[in-house]
Amino acid sequence: MKKMMIGDRIVKSFGEGRERRHVLDGVSMEINEGEFVAVMGPSGSGKSTLMFALSGTDSVDSGKVVVDGKDLSTMGENELSDLRRTTMGFVFQQPTMLSNLNILDNIILPAMRDNRNNVTKISEKARLLMQRVGIADLEKRDITQVSGGQLQRAGICRALINSPKMIFGDEPTGALNSQSAQEMMDILSEINADGTAVMLVTHDAKVAARTERIMFMRDGTIVSELKLPKLEGMDMDQRIEEVTEKMREIGI
Amino acid sequence: MYYRIIRNDMLKSKVITLATMIFVSAAAMLVSLAAILVVHLSGALDMLMTQAKTPHFMQMHSGEVNMARLTSFAEQNHHVDDFQVAEFVNIDGSKIILGDRSLANSVQDNGFSIQSEKFDYLLDLDGNIIHASDGELYVPVSYMRDHTAKVGDKAFVSGREFTVAGFLRDSQMNSALASSKRFLLSAHDYAEIKNLGSTEYLIEFRLKDMSALGAFESAYASAGLEANGPTITYPLLTMLNALSDGIMIAVILLVSVLIVIIALLCIRFTLLARIEGDYREIGVMKAIGLRVSDMKRIYLAKYAAIAAAGSAVGYALSLVSKGMLLENIRLYMGDSGRTSLASLFGLAGILLIFLAIMAYVNGVLRRFRSLSAAEAIRSGTSHEQGAGAKQFRLSGNRWFSTNVFLGVQDVLARKKLYATMLVVLVISSFIMIVPQNLYSTISSKSFVQYMGIGTYDMRMDVQQTGPIPTNTSEIENRMRSDSDISRYAVLTTKAFKVKKENGSEENIKIELGDHSAFPIYYSKGRAPAAENEIALSALNAEELGKQVGERMTLTAEGAEKALTVSGIYSDITNGGKTAKAVFTDHTADTMWAVICAELSDPSLIDQKVSEYKNRFAFAKVSDIEEFVAQTFGSTISSVKKASVASALVALVITLLITLLFMKLLIAKDKYSIAVLKALGFTNSDIRAQYISRSVVVLIAGLILGTLLANTLGELLARTVISSFGASTFTFAIHPLSAYLLIPLMMIGSVLIATIIGLTGAGQIKISESMKG
Repeated sequence: MKKMMIGDRIVKSFGEGRERRHVLDGVSMEINEGEFVAVMGPSGSGKSTLMFALSGTDSVDSGKVVVDGKDLSTMGENELSDLRRTTMGFVFQQPTMLSNLNILDNIILPAMRDNRNNVTKISEKARLLMQRVGIADLEKRDITQVSGGQLQRAGICRALINSPKMIFGDEPTGALNSQSAQEMMDILSEINADGTAVMLVTHDAKVAARTERIMFMRDGTIVSELKLPKLEGMDMDQRIEEVTEKMREIGI
Repeated sequence: MYYRIIRNDMLKSKVITLATMIFVSAAAMLVSLAAILVVHLSGALDMLMTQAKTPHFMQMHSGEVNMARLTSFAEQNHHVDDFQVAEFVNIDGSKIILGDRSLANSVQDNGFSIQSEKFDYLLDLDGNIIHASDGELYVPVSYMRDHTAKVGDKAFVSGREFTVAGFLRDSQMNSALASSKRFLLSAHDYAEIKNLGSTEYLIEFRLKDMSALGAFESAYASAGLEANGPTITYPLLTMLNALSDGIMIAVILLVSVLIVIIALLCIRFTLLARIEGDYREIGVMKAIGLRVSDMKRIYLAKYAAIAAAGSAVGYALSLVSKGMLLENIRLYMGDSGRTSLASLFGLAGILLIFLAIMAYVNGVLRRFRSLSAAEAIRSGTSHEQGAGAKQFRLSGNRWFSTNVFLGVQDVLARKKLYATMLVVLVISSFIMIVPQNLYSTISSKSFVQYMGIGTYDMRMDVQQTGPIPTNTSEIENRMRSDSDISRYAVLTTKAFKVKKENGSEENIKIELGDHSAFPIYYSKGRAPAAENEIALSALNAEELGKQVGERMTLTAEGAEKALTVSGIYSDITNGGKTAKAVFTDHTADTMWAVICAELSDPSLIDQKVSEYKNRFAFAKVSDIEEFVAQTFGSTISSVKKASVASALVALVITLLITLLFMKLLIAKDKYSIAVLKALGFTNSDIRAQYISRSVVVLIAGLILGTLLANTLGELLARTVISSFGASTFTFAIHPLSAYLLIPLMMIGSVLIATIIGLTGAGQIKISESMKG
């Protein structure tokens, strides 16, 4: 299986002098193309920092990150931006939409940077995505006129607009009620089934249980890993049970 | 606790706090200076006019004086407290040499006189009445100011030697705006030079009660007494004396008002950005039950600290720099003796600024009240979206690049926010364009037409130094046979009496001759063409209450002459009160004559001027450009200086405010920038977006500023220019500077400021800004 992403002994610290703290303390990990993984851990374990480091949104102190065959340390700011825009999509815990733009405009924004002349095609694609996640009738709404769950779905559409190879989700269901969270995870699973790799950062066992591989972090290192079969191959309650069991075992 | 919050807040935004303080200091300094100057000016002027015993009413007169008739008038008029006739002798500038400088090029009429007997004293620089000894010459203080003379210099008047013994203050003719200057010498010396020039009389009255001035004026006019010359009253002298410093004070006040506005705008968007940044915190504070007034107090305290510090610095600066601006008042009028009162007034001015700022901050903070705690906590930002933005969709964008679109769209969506910057840019372009247009207008060649001067090449003034008609025809004869002169016209000025509505008579000087040869610009009507037509200068028309087409009656040697007003024009010559007609008259004496000539080859001008100068020593020959420069040159050059200075100030303001604005915008938009970066927009994309925002606001600012400059600005400029006597004019806009150079300079400074201001955007870390 081809590697989508490789992290090799990543070190990242914050603070100066005595206050200096390694948030990532030599983390090594890999994500394959089309894989669905989760990173779990308590607050401050370094899971969000790992996501920022892997996606090139934050620099690392030492170690190496390779995305889609490209070594991030050799790339400049602009190249990193290009890589993010073309290869990755992001879904955050809080809906990160620009308040000046309506839902449709927010979704097509990343595509419009390079393909302004194809605006009709891009809008068409956005409408299809919106239909798929069930918000087809909201395209003209302002971001203040829709619910948090609807905004998160719009966020997924935005993440998919450039047909990325990989989607990062930072607690994507964190601000949603359980019904919405469930629907959200259904959508992400579907996207993964289409071949897009997904990496979720979460502390919710129910969310992690939907993935195929879970990395557990504590104090800046990956302390354990849990592999699960494909979703259809195992009962949901059983998956959750396994995850919580593992968490208990390693004490997080 | 307040202290800590305020201190932390200021440390966090050092640049902005400092800039706000600088604007407050500048405004405070200017307001304090203006207040100090007003007190000193009024005090010094009062002192000077009291010490000198300035006449309340004065009639200048050239010609015979009937002393007995005047004395009996003065005795019989019960308003008169004191009366005297002072005389002075006008001597041509070329015959006066101070030190090693000749006054030949002086535009002033230089007269010599002895010390007055009863009042209208000429004072030394200590305010004492001067008593000149033989051989001593006291020189008007304006010649000290321009370094023409210094004490101890040798002076020559028509070949007679004097020593400059000191300088004098003349409560009547001190002002640079008064066209005559009086020198003082001893009675013995005066008798010796008396016959070397033309004698003029000052018929002066002090009244028992100033309020009777109006009644006295009409009594004098209707008594048919000596009146061949202008009439001047005490209020007019006060105004003349106060005018040049008064204009300076007005300009200072105007500039300080602009700076106060800018300081307030600065405070406004700092404060709004701050409230925006603290939105959630304010919501939380409100939610846990803190009172709005408690929260307001924190911000009020911060701005009280900034305003107090700025005011203190401004006041100190005004005390340090007042000497420089007071120099003129001290020199021309002496000390006012009101130093402590002036300082007090300065302090009052500063207090006013301080209170204005606090009131403004309080007003801006009113929006705390309308802030919903729940909304603030839930969303963390206040959503302001303009209606205009709704029509402007990225999905419908065919015209702009995405970055430009996002920039333009943001401006439309947050109009209120950008309005602040827009106002500053409008003000900046306004204060750049108006003085520039004013300068290009008054320096353009066609402008002299507005000023009562036709467009000819050479001008010869024949004054009362000999028989005017003979001298004039001598020149005419020469010109007729001179092939280099393609055209000429003789205009002779004579004094007539005009009957006013109320039956009283008033003097009017009428320029007779062919006015179609070198036409001037008539704001209403046209030049007089028939014998029974007359054109009036704007000031005369106003004073006589005449419109085009109305009739007026002139008396000349007892006979009445009915004339119709054919036109009204603007004039700066002869105090703005002139008239033009074409009828022939042999009754009145000629006061002066002007011969205007056009050359067949204008490049010969220097040669012709010197030729006519040598041939006709009695006439003043001038190249018209030189003439305009002499009568109007100092105004043109000070307007030029002012236009350059205001352009610089405007550019600095533009630069500073744009920089501040960008810094605030970046701070405010930190989150959106992080989102854009996370979505893969590069730093240069973000820079392009912010530059588009600046450019959109700048273009709007330039358009509005130019429109405003050409409407309101022209109106303002017209008011200024009409004070010189010209009533109508339109801006002669120099398109290259108004529509290219100024916009380019503005664009340049906005771009520089935007790019510098944007450096912060590059440092925004996605990971830090997106957490939580």
